[in-house]
Amino acid sequence: MAVREILLYPDPRLKSPCQIVEKADGACDALIQDLVDTMYGAGHSVGVAAPQIGVPQRVAVVDVSASRQGRDNHHGLLTMINPIILQRSGTMTMREGCMSVPDYTGNVARAEEILVQFLDRNGRSRAIRCRGFEAVAVQHELDHLDGRLFLDRISSLKTDLFRRKKP
Amino acid sequence: MHHFSLTLIGQDRIGIVAQVTEILFRRGCNIADSSCTLLGGQFAMILIISHPSIDSVAGFGNAFAPLEAEGLAVSLRPLPPGGEQAPDLSGSLCLISVYGSDKPGIVYPVVKELGDRRINITDLNTKLVGTTQNPVYVMMIEVVLPPQISLEDLAGWMAALRSSLQVDISVRDITPVEL
Repeated sequence: MAVREILLYPDPRLKSPCQIVEKADGACDALIQDLVDTMYGAGHSVGVAAPQIGVPQRVAVVDVSASRQGRDNHHGLLTMINPIILQRSGTMTMREGCMSVPDYTGNVARAEEILVQFLDRNGRSRAIRCRGFEAVAVQHELDHLDGRLFLDRISSLKTDLFRRKKP
Repeated sequence: MHHFSLTLIGQDRIGIVAQVTEILFRRGCNIADSSCTLLGGQFAMILIISHPSIDSVAGFGNAFAPLEAEGLAVSLRPLPPGGEQAPDLSGSLCLISVYGSDKPGIVYPVVKELGDRRINITDLNTKLVGTTQNPVYVMMIEVVLPPQISLEDLAGWMAALRSSLQVDISVRDITPVEL
């Protein structure tokens, strides 16, 4: 389908909560394809949420399988419609960056393990347990669906905001 | 736009930041980059400021005199052209934690090793913690490793320092993940 343009903060669409998808129809499938194309098109990205391409729907994709931090522990490509986190445990801190907030990164503490439930692209209800980097990526993308950016979650005061290395 | 570095430090009290930024605001200055923190009982502010027309320190007149009158040490310097721009820091970002019983000569040998290896320090904090009887020195150093240096290389050099300085040192990759 298409690599879509990633919205940048302060676009207000990044700070608005998204709507529940009522019907996983063809339009929803096209949206998922655009999210997947946009994620892989960016090269280094491991997740994109629908509001990042300007669509206010509760849809996100994650794939950490090609990343150094996630390649040993992942579920491959996750296409998530109306995802919710049912359980959280443990904490881990990673320095996160976001395509919608260029040039800044910050340490964010998140659950180390989560149980996330969603409808997948084929309309199947799934509940999977994610750990480590994949869990962090899912939580980061799901935050986008609630209009929340990692800047709202930065956890420590010092050495926090750092200009990301240029590609 | 003309850029300046502005540093201020003095006994901490409520209202320092408001007082400083009010002066800057009223003069039409922008705060381009800043880091402010409490060091011991002193509040320290480090800022890069800019102004569209003021192009010299003299141009600020006695703007900061009220701060100095209240005991803050103020230093203002013009930046050379381009001095406000961050360098292109490419490479892995690492955090080096150094800690151990307090004694003279912990900081210098560690940072000298880094300097000798041409490793750029991007952030450094030190703190004296522990008890009066057993003070513990903690130093956190953030560095950017040049492409030709691996985390293992750095860990190896730090391990040698761990023995010679009798402190604990750990090294870890904190390169940001893009989500």
